[in-house]
Amino acid sequence: MSAKDRPIVSSLVNVAMWLERRLHLVKVWKATAGHPIPKSSASWFYVFGSMTLLCFTIQVLTGILLALVYIPSANEAYRSLEYLNYQQELGWFLRGVHYWGSNCMVVVMFFHMTQVFLWGAYKHPRELTWISGAVLLVLTLALSFTGQVMRFDSDAYWGIGIGAAISGRIPIIGAQVVNLLLGGPIIGSDTLSRFFALHVFVLPGAVIALVSLHLRLVLLKGINEYPEPGVQVHKQTYWRDYEETVHKDGMPFVPDGIGKDLVANGLLLIVIVALAVFVGPKGPEIPADPAQVISEAKPDYPFLWLLSAAALLPNGSEIILFFVFPLIAAILLFGLPFYSNVGEKHYSRRPISVLVVILTYLTIGLLTYAGITGPWSPRMEAWSGTPTKPEFIAGRSPVELQGALLLQGKQCRNCHAIGGEGGHRGPDLSAVGTRMDQPELVRQVIQGGGNMPAYGNTLSPQEVSALVSYLVSLRPQNTIPALNPTNPEKTERVSSGELPKQAKVGG
Amino acid sequence: MQPRTLYWILLFGGLAFLCGCDRLPGKPKEKDRWKPPTEIKDFAELFNTNCRGCHSNGKTLGASISMNNPAYLAVIPKEVMQKTIEAGIAGTEMPAYSAKTGGPLTDEQITILVDGIYNWAKGREAPTDNLPPYSAALGDVNHGKAIFAQDCANCHGSDGAGLKGKGGSVVDKVYLSLVSNQYLRTTVIVGRPELGMPSFRDDVQGKPMTPEEISDVLAWLASHREGPAPGQTAPKGGPASKTQTSNPIE
Ligand code: HEC
Ligand code: HEC
Ligand code: HEC
Repeated sequence: MSAKDRPIVSSLVNVAMWLERRLHLVKVWKATAGHPIPKSSASWFYVFGSMTLLCFTIQVLTGILLALVYIPSANEAYRSLEYLNYQQELGWFLRGVHYWGSNCMVVVMFFHMTQVFLWGAYKHPRELTWISGAVLLVLTLALSFTGQVMRFDSDAYWGIGIGAAISGRIPIIGAQVVNLLLGGPIIGSDTLSRFFALHVFVLPGAVIALVSLHLRLVLLKGINEYPEPGVQVHKQTYWRDYEETVHKDGMPFVPDGIGKDLVANGLLLIVIVALAVFVGPKGPEIPADPAQVISEAKPDYPFLWLLSAAALLPNGSEIILFFVFPLIAAILLFGLPFYSNVGEKHYSRRPISVLVVILTYLTIGLLTYAGITGPWSPRMEAWSGTPTKPEFIAGRSPVELQGALLLQGKQCRNCHAIGGEGGHRGPDLSAVGTRMDQPELVRQVIQGGGNMPAYGNTLSPQEVSALVSYLVSLRPQNTIPALNPTNPEKTERVSSGELPKQAKVGG
Repeated sequence: MQPRTLYWILLFGGLAFLCGCDRLPGKPKEKDRWKPPTEIKDFAELFNTNCRGCHSNGKTLGASISMNNPAYLAVIPKEVMQKTIEAGIAGTEMPAYSAKTGGPLTDEQITILVDGIYNWAKGREAPTDNLPPYSAALGDVNHGKAIFAQDCANCHGSDGAGLKGKGGSVVDKVYLSLVSNQYLRTTVIVGRPELGMPSFRDDVQGKPMTPEEISDVLAWLASHREGPAPGQTAPKGGPASKTQTSNPIE
């Protein structure tokens, strides 16, 4: 049976041909999807670029659906998310896919850039491909960041606070930038509108424009051949050799080269859906309320390392973290294809690059891990709600019991656990009586130090005395209290700072 | 079966699974939904977040007296309990909870707390014979000293300064500066059974203390205090204002 015998098919063919004669679709197809690539680059390592694009597509689609319900006003934003979570059928799933799609996009993009870096793909003549990719990284992080603000809960406040802290440190125009970002001096409805406009119009628009440029460059400058150790990039000969390879030993991307991308993207889709189904969306947490400082807030995964870095670095180093460090990182990132333009591509001949990657992954990985498990935030309800295990109460004298009550009432428990229960911002005090003697304990309570506030002004001498007598009693049975006036190192405890840094980070 | 049919079944089956199953682990659960703290109406949750840190609920141990003690609930009048929670006890770690004084709890929540606490004694009420009044003025110091020697010295030493392994000092100046006379009275009446301190009925076998003896022994204890007794002045601030002013990270 030929097309002529089936009227529907033949009229469809006619329509297609009509369109083809006007749009030259075959030619466009050949020049884009069917463009020739080196056979060697159909590798499992080359799939991350298309995976990033898949994530972005998912974000756009789910984002449009979310925008149908989401109301970008300080009063309504939270409610519309609750509506999605609890009323709208599968609304939670939509939120979950958008949330995990965003996290996956950052991760996959990071893998993509790592691969491009290690395989030397940014070298001549693909400098601009790298730079447009680096801009895309910045835009993606900005999308992730503004997206977290959309929840407009306590975590969003953390995000805006840190965003304002970073922008405020830009020399000369810092204050104006903060004003522009927040839409006024404080965080409010105007702030949310601005972040909404950024999140759904400005940033996605910029991403689409840059992705177009990026893909255009990929077509123009080709896909990096799989590098081989010992093969050098020379500006004079590289392009000629590349064209020859593609000509002699190339294949069209579609259909011959796309197989691995399809498999990898299918897997990624399954991962994102599984995360949405099994872990679900994040929040919304406690509603944002300027009157209530919720210090337990945590940013989304892509920024957790910042939280831990801010908490771990010594006081006064914010200027380094928020201004000097991003500046250096940007120079290194954008300058890469210029200061490392030619030469070896294969990672086995570029030990420094491999080291850089390992160090970067270790740093970000460890900081993120610290941010996930991180005890930086006090537990605000421990003082009234967390009981003390019997072994830390029984056998205490009445005055020691008063000390235990002060430890609750003065909210020490919010930062200090006993028997593992309570906050973990400061050390667990279960056996503090074996580590510190009475004068040391008095000094610690009165002067604070490290990340502990000083209580000299808030406690009466009797209260300090009762507290310390309880702390001295915190030691395993049948052990003697710490007593070491001869050990100058222990008695002369130096405190390294005064105020917890988080307050400043949070704005 | 044709492979294509299989795909469709998988696709629609998957969708039906998503729509139909309310128990997907990722679906936000109603119980995790954020509620304003003033809307919590569950007694156990209210007690466990607001009181358990200091007072036992019968399952945990608190540094202050247990609320889950029928003997205690037999002696403290309900209105006093309500007032204490509302206004706290000035000069001690007992915070004021009423929203009217800046605390976190509404009147309704405080009523739920009080009712819930008294419900603990349901069905295991303590005997009410010979029960001394919950509060009374201090009695005679000298007679109190003799009563102490008779009823308390076994555990707290004849001078009240404590006996190793039995009971700690109850005349410690720091201790006395931090507790109210009412609290001393409450513990003498109901004891701290969870810590081994007997109630007024059991200090001496088979011979409960009389109300006079209790007031006298308290007068003797209080006579060791230097400075004012806590719990006398009007309460100031509540835990909410407290949470904010001493918010450690502010
Ligand atoms: C904001 C959280 C915070 C609060 C509230 C807090 N601490 Fe600390 N505390 C810390 C930190 C952090 C350290 C570790 C300080 C350092 O690095 O030297 C610490 C250290 C200590 C130590 C020394 C422990 C050791 O093993 O070195 C003692 C004792 C102590 N705190 C007692 C108290 C008491 C008592 C209170 C209440 C009056 C209190 N803390 C309230 C954060 C806190
Ligand atoms: C930070 C510790 C702390 C918390 C939290 C706390 N209390 Fe207290 N409470 C105390 C102390 C200490 C006293 C004794 C004060 C005094 O009179 O010396 C006390 C006394 C009381 C008394 C009176 C005891 C008597 O003498 O008859 C009642 C009743 C009471 N608390 C109930 C509660 C309830 C209910 C809650 C929770 C809503 C609560 N408390 C939370 C520390 C606490
Ligand atoms: C059987 C031993 C025993 C007897 C008798 C006894 N006590 Fe106690 N008392 C204790 C124990 C145990 C504690 C718990 C604290 C400790 O271990 O020191 C305690 C605690 C106390 C407290 C502090 C309660 C608190 O929560 O702060 C006071 C006050 C007290 N006793 C007074 C008295 C008085 C007054 C008498 C006599 C009428 C007396 N006790 C009789 C064993 C006893």
